[in-house]
Amino acid sequence: MAALRGEMSWFCCGTAWGPCGTAGGGACGTCKSGNYQHAWPNTSDACFSITRPDSCGVSMSRRGCGFRHYTTNLCTGARVGTTIADCGPQTDLFCGETSCCGSACGSNRIIDLTPAAFSAIASLSNGLRPCSVDIV
Amino acid sequence: MIDTIAALQPPVLGAVLIWSARVKLFSRHAAAAAHRSALTRLIGQRRALPAYRLLGGVELTLGALLLLPPALRLEAAAATFLALGFLAYLTYARRAAPTSSCGCLSARQTPVSGRSLARAALLVTGAGLAWLIPGDWPGTLTARPLAGGVLLLVEAAAVVALSPELDAAWLLPLRRLRARLTHPLRGGSGLPLLATLQQVQLSDTYRRVAPLLRSDVREHWDDGDWRFVGHAALYQGRAVTAVFATPLADRDPDTVRVALVDDTTGHTLLALAGTPKPAGPQLDVVPA
Amino acid sequence: MPHTLDRRRLLATAALGGVVGATGLGSLAPEAAFAAEAPAVEPGAPDPNFVEGRISKISGHLLLVTGSDTVLHSIRITSGTSIWKLHPTTFDQVAIGDGLYARGVRLPDGTLAADSVWVNIVNLHAHITSVGRNVLHLDHQGRRIVAHVVPGRSAAVYNGTPAVSDLSLLRVGRHVQVLGAWHPDTNEISIATVYAAA
Repeated sequence: MAALRGEMSWFCCGTAWGPCGTAGGGACGTCKSGNYQHAWPNTSDACFSITRPDSCGVSMSRRGCGFRHYTTNLCTGARVGTTIADCGPQTDLFCGETSCCGSACGSNRIIDLTPAAFSAIASLSNGLRPCSVDIV
Repeated sequence: MIDTIAALQPPVLGAVLIWSARVKLFSRHAAAAAHRSALTRLIGQRRALPAYRLLGGVELTLGALLLLPPALRLEAAAATFLALGFLAYLTYARRAAPTSSCGCLSARQTPVSGRSLARAALLVTGAGLAWLIPGDWPGTLTARPLAGGVLLLVEAAAVVALSPELDAAWLLPLRRLRARLTHPLRGGSGLPLLATLQQVQLSDTYRRVAPLLRSDVREHWDDGDWRFVGHAALYQGRAVTAVFATPLADRDPDTVRVALVDDTTGHTLLALAGTPKPAGPQLDVVPA
Repeated sequence: MPHTLDRRRLLATAALGGVVGATGLGSLAPEAAFAAEAPAVEPGAPDPNFVEGRISKISGHLLLVTGSDTVLHSIRITSGTSIWKLHPTTFDQVAIGDGLYARGVRLPDGTLAADSVWVNIVNLHAHITSVGRNVLHLDHQGRRIVAHVVPGRSAAVYNGTPAVSDLSLLRVGRHVQVLGAWHPDTNEISIATVYAAA
């Protein structure tokens, strides 16, 4: 599979403080903010019917809980390996949105990382970064 | 009066049930609504859509029977049990799957709220009244058209007001209108720090030093026509400060400059500019 | 304060001075830099260099943090640590009861020497249910969040365009992503950035 380019953000899950406290363990029941995990928009029929990446013209393979993806921050080249723990992001709500670093751009939201994983390759205060997602 | 109220419940209940069935049977978003609902948690993902459709069929049948005379007591009894079922389901959904959608009167994603529960309770009350005090609603409406019409309107308004999924049709436009008239968010001005960071991150200068950065923004300040942003960084094993400079009046990423300054000695170890001679404004600084 | 001013003048002078040592940067292609220090954390596993929790005690430059899983952590704040609390700020703004995420390097004694600390940071996806004077009312997974606009701090990004201070283009009923700082033990936040689709 060629690397998929898009935008990444972060989300909290598991037991947590603040508004995150209601997030729970995610669709897979295993999600924790401190783990290297991520949300993927096509984990099941139910998930896909909510996130609808196809409505933005993005084709994303069906992958289940625990599947490994490797996400690269296009701003720095930093890369992190994570496993699927939740359904998301809701790609269709931001169709066509683009983030860039220099000439490296990513369009459409394709992955949400846990705070631990996102902060390993970007700053949490940057809510959105261009990225590429790979399986190796 | 209570007889009139009870007699006019079947058309209200019928209309609500048919509206609800319309979403479950004929909406092209029915599958998504079913999957977002707590049904997936209650009976499993595979059975959620068939159950959702089946419920729609029951609602349509019962709704039509309630609307069409004669008003039978059995219909009101069935509506009472169905409304009780809704109330129980919504209570379960709110407790067991608080992030799930109601899937009630609209395919729009709407978490189960206190208003949804109040609406279900209103339907239970209405159906219970119709069951306990059966009446002939066309006859009642003909005999007391004004009072009957007002009662129907009030009850319909109550159902709409207690339906979060219908907010988009009336409440949000009203709030939009208020915002358009009062401009409550107007007045933001100045260059936000994020705009500067976006400019920095779009620059080739940033791309070249980004792997060295160890921290988020540690400090930032404006001086003259420039804005400065400092990060902690590591360069050749030394703790340094990476300070980016951007002209406040020029958003071109090529104008971004950076220097790596040794935290211990204060020596500039590295300085880069996007272009050989940036056209940005000058800061009156004394060379170190 | 004079020290801060002197330091900033030094940094400003360095940034606006001539190009220094640029040729030495050839080896710093991002891929090369990160290949050398690939993270050892297994996908799916917890990261020992990351801490999440709420501050239960502040002692000197040491934060005692109770993780949401009730594990206790010590975090050391150094002169190189960045602290975010709605915006980049200083250690004296951190308070007991604040929530945080921190990233750094785990020292042999188990303390985390923090590179970055994000205090009370939240990243919410929500719908705008109404707007008031410098306030957004949000529906976040069925729960109400009151999001305050902080003049001079809050910014909006409309469909990926450059950030602006003007939030007046936000519309009731629209979906937004809000990055902000939580007010501990309330349902209120201060807005750092609102991302809105056009």
